[in-house]
Amino acid sequence: MKFLIIAKKEILDITRDKRTLLMMIGFPLLLMPVLIGTMMKITTSQAEKASEKEIKIAFIGKQYAPNLLNAFSNLDKLIILDQISIDSVQSYIQSEYLDAAININPDYESNINNNSQAKINIFYKGTDSFGTAKERIQMVLEQFEKSIIELRMNKLDLKPNIVKAYNIEFNDIASKQEKFGKLAGGWLPYVFILFGFMGAMYPALDLGSGEKERGTLETILSSPASRFDIVLGKFIVIMSAAFITAFLALAGILIGIQQISVIPPAFLTLVNEIFTVKTIALIMTLVLPVSAFFSAVLLGLSIYAKSFKEAQSIVAPLNIVIIFPAVIGTLPGIELNMITSLIPILNVSLASKDIIAGVINPIYMTEVYLSLFGFAALSLYWCVRSFNKESTIFRN
Amino acid sequence: MIDVKNLIKDFTLNKKQRKEMGDKYKDTNILRAVDDVSFECQPGRIYGLLGPNGAGKTTTLRMIATMLKPTSGSISVSGYDTVSQGQEVRSQIGFMTGQTALYDRLTPTEMVKYIADLHGMDNKAFNKRKEHLFNILDMNSFADRRIARLSTGMKQKTSIARTIIHDPQVMVFDEPTSGLDVMTSRAIIELIRSCKEDGKTVIFSTHRMGEVNQLCDDIAIIYKGKLFYNSSLDQFKSEMTKSTFEEEFIFRVGEE
Repeated sequence: MKFLIIAKKEILDITRDKRTLLMMIGFPLLLMPVLIGTMMKITTSQAEKASEKEIKIAFIGKQYAPNLLNAFSNLDKLIILDQISIDSVQSYIQSEYLDAAININPDYESNINNNSQAKINIFYKGTDSFGTAKERIQMVLEQFEKSIIELRMNKLDLKPNIVKAYNIEFNDIASKQEKFGKLAGGWLPYVFILFGFMGAMYPALDLGSGEKERGTLETILSSPASRFDIVLGKFIVIMSAAFITAFLALAGILIGIQQISVIPPAFLTLVNEIFTVKTIALIMTLVLPVSAFFSAVLLGLSIYAKSFKEAQSIVAPLNIVIIFPAVIGTLPGIELNMITSLIPILNVSLASKDIIAGVINPIYMTEVYLSLFGFAALSLYWCVRSFNKESTIFRN
Repeated sequence: MIDVKNLIKDFTLNKKQRKEMGDKYKDTNILRAVDDVSFECQPGRIYGLLGPNGAGKTTTLRMIATMLKPTSGSISVSGYDTVSQGQEVRSQIGFMTGQTALYDRLTPTEMVKYIADLHGMDNKAFNKRKEHLFNILDMNSFADRRIARLSTGMKQKTSIARTIIHDPQVMVFDEPTSGLDVMTSRAIIELIRSCKEDGKTVIFSTHRMGEVNQLCDDIAIIYKGKLFYNSSLDQFKSEMTKSTFEEEFIFRVGEE
């Protein structure tokens, strides 16, 4: 039971380390809600700004389509400039003096009257992030086109259905939860996997290579605690730190969503319906073995390193290794199946997505558990072996 | 008591290490750090392991403290074998190096309690022993202050307290004064002497001849893994053919 003494001491030690606490509690619980809130606020205010924005459009060839010009002139937040020549349009749009330009061909009227197609050129800048100018022009043109078609059909004494052979009705049987899970469920595990890893990183560095750097490794190695006790005690603490950080990251996101005033109430209700205690608990059962896996690997590498600095340089590239499968999990088309459920990290990402969507397959879920606990056990075994290897702990 | 018999320790070198070590390891990847070393340390006596850096002192002491396993030979500490009865051996020893080896975020009380807990001391025994040690080392004024905020002297006292909190019968000091100033070194020298007075078995390694003369009852000269001399200090002095310890050391290891 000496591992409990070691774990107790390590808990006392790391809870006094401001850096670990910041990474474990401060970052996920405080920073996440602030980040989400700020991001949402900026996005919403930018969208609002864009819709409120007064846009400037050049209308070239007004004499060919006076009715169409009228349709544009009647709109709010729209300034029509009809004295600009076609040659200067592109440079004006480029310099953002104009938002867009409409060029009417001289044969506009004859084409319309002869039931032909009238050519209209629209110039705009595709880098306009909200596409406001293009959208507004399109909306007006579509409405105007509709009225022209109606007029033409009346003249020909045709019913509107003549050009609409199908009455298509799409019936989406996916529940809102399923859609939410498939859409947003991908990045949520990505966040808590990454936080879990970061939560394990500092304690692992401190509890492994930190012992070498302080010279305390010899102190504990010459105590009656066995090497297994030492590794197990440290491992439990690092794993707990990873688990708590991942949990708080998830909690941080959920708290963040609740705090956003601009969020639609229907979406908030949906989030609250999905993230019940049961769902969160189920996700956490995946986080536990993955935290164990991270912790054993990080502790093993940290013990191998000669110094804290070397440990940092060994562990830092692992961030990419962790992110990679987590990102793959967010891609569309990648689903939980017999193979993907065996790949660690990716399986957590995909299984969490399905748990959130409420469509988790119990067979795959069992496979995920087997894989995760298997990898956790293997990595712990490797970590204990490294700690028993003289060439690892006394590498200097 | 420590009984070391025909101790050999080999390390396997990797490619990079072989390259660094030069031509000598062109045909072998085995580095013999300790080569057929035998000696005995008796209770109530101080045994000095004298040798330059890289002689094999630390490797020998780490094997005594069960941190490393001998390639061959045996070590018995208070009657326990270091390989098959490692835990019993560790419960008998106190190990100290020149580094203070403390946890900055703990207080001296917590640090000492941690080691006491690992040695299975109950609260009553711990409190009694702690009170005794903290009084004689004059540690009460900073007992509950974080170690990071202590002076070097205070840290050294804490290090002494954590080494002897469980009242070990065998003390292993690996170059305990290296890198320390005169005042802090003195505290360690006093600790080594008091361990002898208490009838403990003391082994300490050093490359300082002065310390050997000042402290040791028995000495061994170790160089390139081999034991060149092993007897009492008095015997060594009577057999000296050179005028200083340094010269005698060089003469004994045949580097003259």
